[in-house]
Amino acid sequence: MSSQLATAGGPANPVPPAGKRKSVMGTRPWVAALFLLPAIVLLGALVVYPIGYSVWRSLYDADGSGFVGLGNYGDLFSDDATFTAVKNTAIWVAVAPALVTGLGLVFAVLTERVRWSTAFKLVIFMPMAISMLAAGIIFRLVYEADPDQGVANAVVVGVHDTFAESSVYPKARPSTESDLKASGGGAFTSTGTLSAGTPALVPLVGIAPNKVPGDPGDATSAEPSGDGVSGTVWLDFKLGGGGEKGAVDAGEKALPGIKVEAVKDGKVVASAKAGDDGTFTLPAAADGAQLRLPESNFAAPYNGVDWLGPSLVTPAIIGSYAWMWAGFAMVLIAAGLAGVDRNLLEAARVDGANEWQVFRRVTVPLLAPVLVVVLITLMINVMKIFDLVFIIAPQPSQDEANVLALQLVNASFGGGNNQGLGSAIGIVLLLLVMPVMIVNIRRLRKERRR
Amino acid sequence: MTTSSVPLKGPGEPGEPGSPAQPSAAVDAAGPPERSLASKLAGFFAGGAVRVFLVVVALLWVTPTVGLLASSFRDPTDIAASGWWEVFSKPSQLTTESYSTLLGKEEITDALWNTVLITVPATVLVVVIGAMAGYAFAWMDFKGRDWWFVAVVALLVVPIQIALIPLADLFGDLGIFGSVLGVVLFHVGFGLPFAIFLLRNFFAEIPRELLEAARLDGAGETRLFATVILPLGGPAIASLGIFQFLWVWNDMLVALIFSDSGSRPLTVALTEQTRQFSGNIETLAPGAFISMVIPLAVFFAFQRQFVSGVMAGAVK
Amino acid sequence: MRSSILRVSGPRTRSTAAKAAAALVAGAMAFTLTACGGDDDKKDDEGSGGEKGAAASVELPKLDGQKLEVAAVWTGPEQENFTKVLDEFEKRTGAEVSYVPTGNNTSTFLGTKIEGGKPPSVAFLPQVGVLHQFAQKGWVKPLGAEAQAQLDKNFSTGWKELGAYEGKQYGVYAKAANKSLVWYNTAAFEAAGLTAEPKTWDEFLQTAQTLSDAGSPAVSVAGQDGWTLTDWFENVYLSQAGPEKYDQLAKHEIKWTDPSVKEALTTLAQLWGKDDLLAGGSAGALRTEFPKSVTNTFSGDTPAGMVYEGDFVAANINADTKSEIGTDAKVFPFPAVGDASPVVSGGDVAVALKDDKGAQALLTFLASTDAAEIWAAQGGFISPNKEMNADKYKDDVTKDIAKALLKAGDDFRFDMSDQAPAAFGGTQGTGEWKALQDFLKDPKDVAGAQQQLETSAAKAYKG
Repeated sequence: MSSQLATAGGPANPVPPAGKRKSVMGTRPWVAALFLLPAIVLLGALVVYPIGYSVWRSLYDADGSGFVGLGNYGDLFSDDATFTAVKNTAIWVAVAPALVTGLGLVFAVLTERVRWSTAFKLVIFMPMAISMLAAGIIFRLVYEADPDQGVANAVVVGVHDTFAESSVYPKARPSTESDLKASGGGAFTSTGTLSAGTPALVPLVGIAPNKVPGDPGDATSAEPSGDGVSGTVWLDFKLGGGGEKGAVDAGEKALPGIKVEAVKDGKVVASAKAGDDGTFTLPAAADGAQLRLPESNFAAPYNGVDWLGPSLVTPAIIGSYAWMWAGFAMVLIAAGLAGVDRNLLEAARVDGANEWQVFRRVTVPLLAPVLVVVLITLMINVMKIFDLVFIIAPQPSQDEANVLALQLVNASFGGGNNQGLGSAIGIVLLLLVMPVMIVNIRRLRKERRR
Repeated sequence: MTTSSVPLKGPGEPGEPGSPAQPSAAVDAAGPPERSLASKLAGFFAGGAVRVFLVVVALLWVTPTVGLLASSFRDPTDIAASGWWEVFSKPSQLTTESYSTLLGKEEITDALWNTVLITVPATVLVVVIGAMAGYAFAWMDFKGRDWWFVAVVALLVVPIQIALIPLADLFGDLGIFGSVLGVVLFHVGFGLPFAIFLLRNFFAEIPRELLEAARLDGAGETRLFATVILPLGGPAIASLGIFQFLWVWNDMLVALIFSDSGSRPLTVALTEQTRQFSGNIETLAPGAFISMVIPLAVFFAFQRQFVSGVMAGAVK
Repeated sequence: MRSSILRVSGPRTRSTAAKAAAALVAGAMAFTLTACGGDDDKKDDEGSGGEKGAAASVELPKLDGQKLEVAAVWTGPEQENFTKVLDEFEKRTGAEVSYVPTGNNTSTFLGTKIEGGKPPSVAFLPQVGVLHQFAQKGWVKPLGAEAQAQLDKNFSTGWKELGAYEGKQYGVYAKAANKSLVWYNTAAFEAAGLTAEPKTWDEFLQTAQTLSDAGSPAVSVAGQDGWTLTDWFENVYLSQAGPEKYDQLAKHEIKWTDPSVKEALTTLAQLWGKDDLLAGGSAGALRTEFPKSVTNTFSGDTPAGMVYEGDFVAANINADTKSEIGTDAKVFPFPAVGDASPVVSGGDVAVALKDDKGAQALLTFLASTDAAEIWAAQGGFISPNKEMNADKYKDDVTKDIAKALLKAGDDFRFDMSDQAPAAFGGTQGTGEWKALQDFLKDPKDVAGAQQQLETSAAKAYKG
């Protein structure tokens, strides 16, 4: 009297005795019912009922008073944001579970080879013990754009700056009164021309007088120099203001090292660098040329990568997800590994397989059931992911980082309080998981036939 | 972590008796002696690479947490002014003020207790009910079993948010809205699908012979469950327990809405300490570590379960 | 848990004593009361007991043993300050009041509590739109006669109307925000040789230019938080287009493609379009959150010169920087773009969600000068209550900010984005927030920004 229908209080129907091998113990239906009852009752009341409610609710408008039929679904699919959200959710589902499972597998297998595996596991596992909110804050800190605050950019900038030099006066620029105007690419060119005998004045501003690099001395007005063109490059602003604009006043700093070029018809005919007192001298060839300050003087310092900008925001958040969840995969896979028959691995080694082959041909297949569990759990979890995205993605790039679950939260609770639309998104999510479920059914069927 | 010089034990043969312990730090200590020198060397380098790799990974993993930890010991004005790594060059910035401010508040200590009151039953119930259902799905036969199972798994995808309003409604009618019980029930409902999914799959891997043997000894379902399934499912149950524990422990959304001023847990109490329009690192960072202490203790308590091969030993 | 026991027994045993209470026992009682409040105990040092001595300006019923719950968005220090007001209410009525924070999403929080059948007695709503929505659903109860009397006595028509819906008075604006302030770093001004605070938009731009020439980033704009950008726009628009247009735009009676909007955006672009004037340029501004914009201005190596936002900037200056308000950090009114400086305000409105005596009594108290004065004494608070004694403000800066708000009389305008449907004016990543962020990214595209604003406004107002 094995295997009879025990669910939903239905009458006991005999089940084809074919696949009998599975039913070890000839369960009486009421026993199965007893084991399932608590779960079924709780799930029905706490999860299935809200789904039913959502289906019904998704047919009504924002405040639930007017029936709109499938209008919410129509709104959803005519919204551009949905497209981004679906695309990003697809990226998440394709990348994150595989990445996390892979990491977990590698960690679980490799830690078996070291004595300090517990310490290592603890380190990997720790992020799981951190709340989503705290994790979000951690990664806001990590990805902070300012290299003085965000560790990721501090590293990137540090590496970059050891290989490339930045300019000395990144923020400087000619004062608005001066004759020099921006001429593209960060360079400045004078509108007038140089003439021998008349010292050129190059007043720059935009640097705090007490923060000039190298703390140079005061500037001096250049003397006219024979046939050549002389001039002064200086900071036309002293602490506390004052002084005449465009004139070298006492106490105004020189800006040594600034490169000046004389340009005729787009060609550089001469160039010079400002000395310690800010003065420079160009040869006679510069007479009649335009004065140009090349962009190399002002190139902005390298500020690192805009991790949370529109293009990198989703990979960056997936990275933080991997950080959090690798511990999950690792722990479950380690639990699975604990059940693997070591003799099989040993046998393979004795047969001359190398470690990689043992891993590929023996360990992974033996772990397959666990890996599938982990992968499916993560896939489904990733479909629901919203808090990390919500906390980490800065507002201006939240559009680009949008995922379906976040759209659901924003629609339902984000101010619009459109429960109707939110419910519709929930139902769409539920439908999207069906392919995963069908694969699962197939797997179960196969397993049964074993 | 001073193990770099320790000769590694061969992978995956915990204490196999007569394995020839090779003092030459070869990775495969238990490797058959007839292996060539070249393969031993390769093994050695691979072992070294493994250790280096793991150390690098560990550093990478621990850095963000260290950042948070360092921030939790800094003054908010310092946090706003510079990166956390500055504490290494300026240890004078370290202060425990954020911690003493938080721990000095009665709300926080009360809320910690509420968190325990919510988390422990929510975890135990999910594990017990989930294990029962998982066993039924793995080893009992009834019509439509696979479909029922898949339906349960499909519930994994239900976002918590869609249940807030209907369950608030339901719990209000039952009179448990705002109570610890309401919060616990919510977590049980949303913890069960994963529990059933995980445990069913682990239980299904238990060798049939063991169950049949117990059956022949005259064990009934309940005894089978208690004496075979539960002990053999140890690692899986422990993993499930710890994850369910952590998820409930760290939940804020459900607690914010389903608890009231008498039953609110730590996460909600912590947000009360934050300021609107602020980064709030000085509250959230120490808060994260205060609330991490207990989960990590739980992990340590169960870690034997993860590592030791309870199942492996029994099965072989 | 322990505190809940205290809470039950405390007020009851004390109730008759409270009636006879002389100033003598006030101190001791204040102690019992704070213990009963169940909150932290470090707040008893401040002298809310002192209020007792002065004649109470409001009659409150006896509510011994009644329990009230109050919900608002405030947490941390703001919550502590407000709890002082509740303590006084407990003392005068014998009711027990507990405070619950709503989290960021007040309407979801309250909505679910109402579904669950356990709404708080009184809640503070942060947006006018939410008040209207709740009134429509019948979730909020109209003000009783006593509360109405206090409101009539102490509040100007403008503030009263904000708390009304379809002719019925529901709410009391017990807390206001003045969102027309520019905070500046005095050291940066000194270094640049600036001595006068700018009064007009042109002077403001000139000041910014001078600051930038002097090497400090002139203005820190918190572009990552869309709501600060809407506040920028509202100030410029109110000053330039005038209150009538402002009201029309707020109700979407004129479109965002209106020439007046174009003019305002063009004006804003004079600042937003110049990378030299913004801390970090416009790209940097878009990566700056509100708290960061404040620390940008008042801490670090090269602080910015100015930051725009409301009176609540003070809280961030105090907590996150070492600057002192009044010496290192000062404030001037938002410069006049048109004829007069704008006064844009915000605020939280207290409403009753339960139809009982306790809720009405608390609203009555919140509308009184007594409550406003206690609250003001804690700092970080300004009140739209015009009858209160302004000397009660904790510091002069706050007092001046509050005075500026009251001086505007009924010419102030409430934050436009808070009046708009939340899908347009209050949701991150969409609507006005997003449109203005895109405009900050590309300030040349005025027409495009207008179009984007109008498209999402049309969608949001339709519903």
